[in-house]
Amino acid sequence: MSTTMKNIINDLTKAFNTGVSYMMPTVVVGGICLALSLAGGDATAGKGMVVTNPFLKNLGIIGSAGFSMMIPILSGYIAYSIAGKPGITPGMITGFIANMPIGDNHVQTGFLGAMLMGILCGFLARWVKKWKVNDTIKTIMPILIIPIVTTVIIAMVYIYILVGPIGIIMKWLIDMLSGMQGGSALILGLIVGAMAAFDMGGPVNKTATAFTLALMAEGIYGPNGAYRIAVAIPPLGIALSTFISRNKWGSDDRRMGPSAAFMGLIGITEGAIPFAVKSLKTVIPSIMIGSAVGAGLGMVHGVECMVPHGGLIVIAAVNKAPLWYAIDMAIGVIVTAICLHILRPTIENNETK
Amino acid sequence: MKIIGVAACITGVAHTYMAQEAIEQECKKRGYDVKVETQGGMGIDNELSEDEIAQADVVIMAVAIGIEGQERFEEKEDAGRVLTLNPAEVIRNPTAIIDKAINLVK
Repeated sequence: MSTTMKNIINDLTKAFNTGVSYMMPTVVVGGICLALSLAGGDATAGKGMVVTNPFLKNLGIIGSAGFSMMIPILSGYIAYSIAGKPGITPGMITGFIANMPIGDNHVQTGFLGAMLMGILCGFLARWVKKWKVNDTIKTIMPILIIPIVTTVIIAMVYIYILVGPIGIIMKWLIDMLSGMQGGSALILGLIVGAMAAFDMGGPVNKTATAFTLALMAEGIYGPNGAYRIAVAIPPLGIALSTFISRNKWGSDDRRMGPSAAFMGLIGITEGAIPFAVKSLKTVIPSIMIGSAVGAGLGMVHGVECMVPHGGLIVIAAVNKAPLWYAIDMAIGVIVTAICLHILRPTIENNETK
Repeated sequence: MKIIGVAACITGVAHTYMAQEAIEQECKKRGYDVKVETQGGMGIDNELSEDEIAQADVVIMAVAIGIEGQERFEEKEDAGRVLTLNPAEVIRNPTAIIDKAINLVK
């Protein structure tokens, strides 16, 4: 490997770590507030968890605000790590754009899109910083030129070049899933589960959501049941893994385990994101396999869920085979933890106290 | 010998301060002047002044993330007096790391 390549990889690792470092408190605040709020709600058919208590409702507002901030903070500080201060604004704005629905197909790329935005903004801002300009312009470089040039270029590249193709792929996936409806329940479950875990709130996950919601509108609740099993598995599986495979996780990650478990029970897949960002290639395959297994089993057992929300808290709204709902979820969680144990390298000299 | 450093880990709760302690203890044992800035969960503590940076012989960067005020160390970097590594490495083996840092001066 050449040294420039190595430098870039070093820069990127450091950048992802920086992003996670600043994002972590936001995930915790958002996750805990949202979870407490949802835990006090009622599972209502067709609507999800409905929270009626005014105080819990307000707590829910804080939680949602935290979750909408989480993605821009991640991308903003990824860019900051690469380009310094001038990277923050472009990173945050483009990360925010990545996390909102754009165009006719409502393309949302979630945290994976935001990570890409952060990297692109970081490198572009770093390059613009090096421009040789005269002294008058130099004074306005950090507050005017760098943020505007970087933000506009990267955001436009995203909207015009990336969003279109992603939208077409999402549409194609929905058509394909609809074609499979009525075919093999197991395979449909496996695919829906893997999609739910793949990007945790990104376009693939959103496609699976859209598909199960569309079927619910037609009175078919099976795929939604399977999908709701799947969304809880990533954070729960990772949490279980941090509890049992202690030599595979650093002390930072282990400290985040309990809060991930809590979020998993409440059906908040995002609890898994901080772990995934740090190690995409061990975490993503593990949670995809675990979620696929859980959702596949759910389809086979005929689990049907009436509400568009996941986790164990909606079990009261699982109108068919609620026991299997819990068991299949547990199996998926265990499978995830086993995969993580196999895929993750053992950390040497790791204090496991 | 005057050694300064910056410590910053991902969560900024434990490793940041363990790295600071490891560097300080090892340097004091050897009778060096030492000051380590920490950029942890509570923000910047024990901040290094411009003078302190200018007078330092070696800078040890025990950082896992992008830090605030990286540009303060540009001159030292150009002079080849900065040793950058992961906080965990310093905690694990401070003696070897300080030896390595001293070698930058020679």
